[in-house]
Parts: sequence; C-alpha cells; structure tokens
Amino acid sequence: MAGTIIGTSVTVEGELSSDEEVVVHGTVRGTLSSADAVSVGADGTVDANIKASSLSVAGQVTGNVTAKERVDIQAGGRLIGDVKASRLTIADGASFKGNVDMDV
Amino acid sequence: MAESSVIGSTTVIRGNVRGEGDIEILGRVEGDVIFTGDVTISEDAQVRGRVSGAAISIAGEVVGDVTGTAAVILAATAHVQGDLITPRVGIAEGARVHGSLNTEGSGRTEEGSRGARSREVPRRAAAAVKPAAASASARSAVPASRSASPATPVTGKRKPPPPVVPALRKGARARKKSRG
Repeated sequence: MAGTIIGTSVTVEGELSSDEEVVVHGTVRGTLSSADAVSVGADGTVDANIKASSLSVAGQVTGNVTAKERVDIQAGGRLIGDVKASRLTIADGASFKGNVDMDV
Repeated sequence: MAESSVIGSTTVIRGNVRGEGDIEILGRVEGDVIFTGDVTISEDAQVRGRVSGAAISIAGEVVGDVTGTAAVILAATAHVQGDLITPRVGIAEGARVHGSLNTEGSGRTEEGSRGARSREVPRRAAAAVKPAAASASARSAVPASRSASPATPVTGKRKPPPPVVPALRKGARARKKSRG
C-alpha cells in the first residue's frame, strides 16, 4: 500500500488521520496523526500537532510532536515545537526550537 | 514538479483538500476536494463535499456536487448524491446518481447546482454587449464588423438593440448638451 502522499502545491486544511504512512510534500494545517510513520519532505510544510509512530522532518514543522518511536530532523529540516519521543536525532544543519521529553 | 497526491485507504481527512496536479482518493475526505488536475475516487472511497477538477473518475461514494472541466466518469460501483457539471459525462451501468446533470458550457463554474440558471445571465449580458461593440467598430471601420460577424455562432436573426430613449416627463425642458 502506497499510503498517503500529499503532493507539492497541495494544501490540506483540517484533521488528517491515518493508519498508514503519510508523506507530506505540500502543506498540512490542522492536526496530523498516523499509526505509522510520518515524513515531511524538503518542500513540505506542516502547521499542525503531529502524532505518529515515527517522524522524519526535512521540511518545516510548526507544532508539537508526539512519536512512539523516534523523531529525526534531517539537515535543512526545521522543527518548532515540543517533542515527545524516546529517541530524537537532529542532523547537522537542522534547526530546532522547543522542549524535548524522552520519558515516554 | 507537482507530483500526484494519494489519500490512502485508511486515511481520513476532515477539512478541505486543494491543490494542483492529480489526486487519487482511496480513503475518506469530509470536505471539499478542489484540484486543477484529475481526481480519482476509488471504490470504497468516500467524499462528503464538493469535488472539482479536470477529469474526474468516480468508483466510490460522493455526497456533493461534482464539477469536471474535462469530464466526469462514473464506474458501475459509483454512488453520487449531488449534481454533475461537466461538458463530457460517462455513467456506467449500475452507477447510482441522485442529482441533476448539466453538460452545457465549459463546466468551469464552481457554482454547483446554480450552474444552469447562473449561466443564462452571462449569455444574455454578452448578447447585449455585442451590438454595442459592433457599432463601436463600425464607426471606425465597416469591414471590421463584417469580418467579425461570421466568427460569432449563428443564433438566427439578431435584432438591433432598442434605441435608448430617455424617459421624459410632461413639461420637461430640453437641456443644452455640454459638448456642442
């Protein structure tokens, strides 16, 4: 199953929830939750609180993040918000502003 | 490069989805889906809201008006509650439709059910504008209006516009024109 792909120049405004992988190349505003992985591409923008099993950020995320497993902020990625996850990696060149809670 | 979007089968979106390029919906959208490219709504997929795009193929359920600027194709499993507005339509045997069908015009209006009535107004307005434009061009060059007239679709004999006569009250006095 391909999962859900939000293409570039596509905007979702509202609540997006899924049981499968979600890939965001466009824009999501509202809330974003998935039982599987969520990844935000280099051109992706998410203005939403995110709940996922894992999150990979190469684009821009503004909102609080709760991940069951891990959060990876790639080089060039930007995350503003609090992170609640047992594992967090921040690559060289990534930017992050917020609190980290690893007591999950 | 606008890659196509996919709304997966377990995905639910409460809100609007708009953008450029194509989209395939396998899951559920409770809101409007407005795209510039093609929209595919698969079997078992559900959309509650307006659907707008170029070519729209539906095999799932749609509750809302469907506007396809190129075409609307309903598969046998399709179920649509709402109006279909498109220049080209295809409905397979077994498809269920509750709503009106409008294949007139470009189908570019997003007005939905009001499309049939609202389209009547611009046509009349265009007819009113054309003679005025023709007379304006006739003043400068007569052949220009003659060459322009075959380009317009033949709609029978067109009457000249009624003369514009200002309503005068009894006893109204003539007023001198400002421009000699």
